[in-house]
Amino acid sequence: MMNTAIEVHDLHKNYGPQPVLRGVSFAVGVGEIFGIAGRNGAGKTTTVEILQGLRSRDHGQVRVLGFDPGRDRRRLRPLLGAQLQTSALPERLRVGEALRLFARLAGGRVDWRQLARAWGLEPLVGKQFGGLSGGQRQRLFLALAMIHRPRLVFLDELTQGLDPLARRETWRLVEQARDHGTTVVLVTHDMEEAERLCDRVAVMHEGELVTCGRPVELATAMGTVRVRFSSPSAAGLEGLAQLPGVAEIGYDGASADIAVDPESVVHVATELARRDLAPPDFTVIRPSLEEAVMALLNGDQR
Amino acid sequence: MTSLLALTPTELRLLTRDWTVLVFAFVFPPLVMLILAGVFGTHATVGFFWQNPQNYYVAASAGVPIIALALVGLPVTLASYRERGVLRRLEAFGVTPAQTIAAQAIVTAGLVLIGVVAVLAAAIPTYGIPHVVHPAQVLLGLGAGTLTLILIGVAIGLAAPSARAAQAIGLIAFFPLYLLGGGGPPKGAMTGVMRTISGALPSPIPGIVDPWLGLPGLAGQLAVFGAWSAAAIGAICWLVRRTPA
Repeated sequence: MMNTAIEVHDLHKNYGPQPVLRGVSFAVGVGEIFGIAGRNGAGKTTTVEILQGLRSRDHGQVRVLGFDPGRDRRRLRPLLGAQLQTSALPERLRVGEALRLFARLAGGRVDWRQLARAWGLEPLVGKQFGGLSGGQRQRLFLALAMIHRPRLVFLDELTQGLDPLARRETWRLVEQARDHGTTVVLVTHDMEEAERLCDRVAVMHEGELVTCGRPVELATAMGTVRVRFSSPSAAGLEGLAQLPGVAEIGYDGASADIAVDPESVVHVATELARRDLAPPDFTVIRPSLEEAVMALLNGDQR
Repeated sequence: MTSLLALTPTELRLLTRDWTVLVFAFVFPPLVMLILAGVFGTHATVGFFWQNPQNYYVAASAGVPIIALALVGLPVTLASYRERGVLRRLEAFGVTPAQTIAAQAIVTAGLVLIGVVAVLAAAIPTYGIPHVVHPAQVLLGLGAGTLTLILIGVAIGLAAPSARAAQAIGLIAFFPLYLLGGGGPPKGAMTGVMRTISGALPSPIPGIVDPWLGLPGLAGQLAVFGAWSAAAIGAICWLVRRTPA
């Protein structure tokens, strides 16, 4: 029983003299939503294109569902689904026609009308692609990527340019895909999306994978969390700076703001309780994934 | 093969929704044929190689849909597919760019036949259909001309940076091939230089007109088709390697 969907080891790729991927290694488990995040030009799209066999690699080992995508693309293709970045459909193609075409390309085993119902596309089947909203297009792309019930689907910048409602609807559909048993590789530079959806996130920067882990781990790895609570005076905060793990204390005349190691939050809370201070708004704020990744990419953690 | 069978009907539907191409391919040729054949009448002159001008323009206009569809319709569709990432989306689904291009070529060839029928249908109640002197050679000229222009259209579609650019290139190529190919003034009315240029162009018009009316020249035009086809195939191979999907 294979429980690794993707294994990448020491992947290298150059475009001419320009190195695009420099020794990227990671693994994706079956059933995961695995995020690949990073700035534009980090090498995310090239990585997933190599994983799909759409691009050759210069060096390194890649196994996708047990196959080498460079050599076994034909056997691998029926197992994969893909929503590629900046790829569309002909403007005049109707939704129903797109579903029917891709269902036929998938081998005709799929009832496209049933698929239209399942993905909420039934009211749109007669509409041309050019007339769809951004959210409707992404819903169609997801349905097309999932049309043959792939074991692994690549979704590249799926929610780029969508309004918040459409974005959340798309997230729900991605979770629906995972719930159907499909492993999802989500390429994004939207950290909120990665944090909200992904079981694990790999962060790429200038062709290298700089970190990989659960979003909460990556955020926590930034080192400090912030503790905030209301305090009538600064006097009540005296001595807290000497507690282990406390890095910084701020006071704005009404509230305290303490930067502290995650494991030392309990010391701050215990000390406040010992002083008979029990602020009802005691709040622990951990950094978002976006803050952690930005700090990482800006070199704070490297 | 499954991909091609699935893709071809879809491509046909899409192309028939493009009114610009439909007008260019199915309305423009019969309209021009009706006008020019009417203007020049039936009086044979040296400019028409002593042929009835009405007969000449009916035969010549049968080549115009080929130029319109292969140089204006096909390249725009192909370039837009590249520009919008449609080729890449299809490729991710196992449809190679070659299969997509083949489907577009098949559809273009099919529509060419409909365009020729439209010209002839317009001629029947007006000027009548002239006697075909060498039917097999007309079919040969029609087929070779269609194939050559489709290859050139594919090359334009792969080379153009955008659909708009492909349309511009296609239109720029359309008019010399139409006018210098004999769709406007007949070759017999051209000056020596223009006739020489005309003889080097891959216009399908002389490939149809000459055997239809019993004029010599098909062999030379087939050689021209062969040279342009070889050049187009070379360009296609180079462009495919340079710009995958």
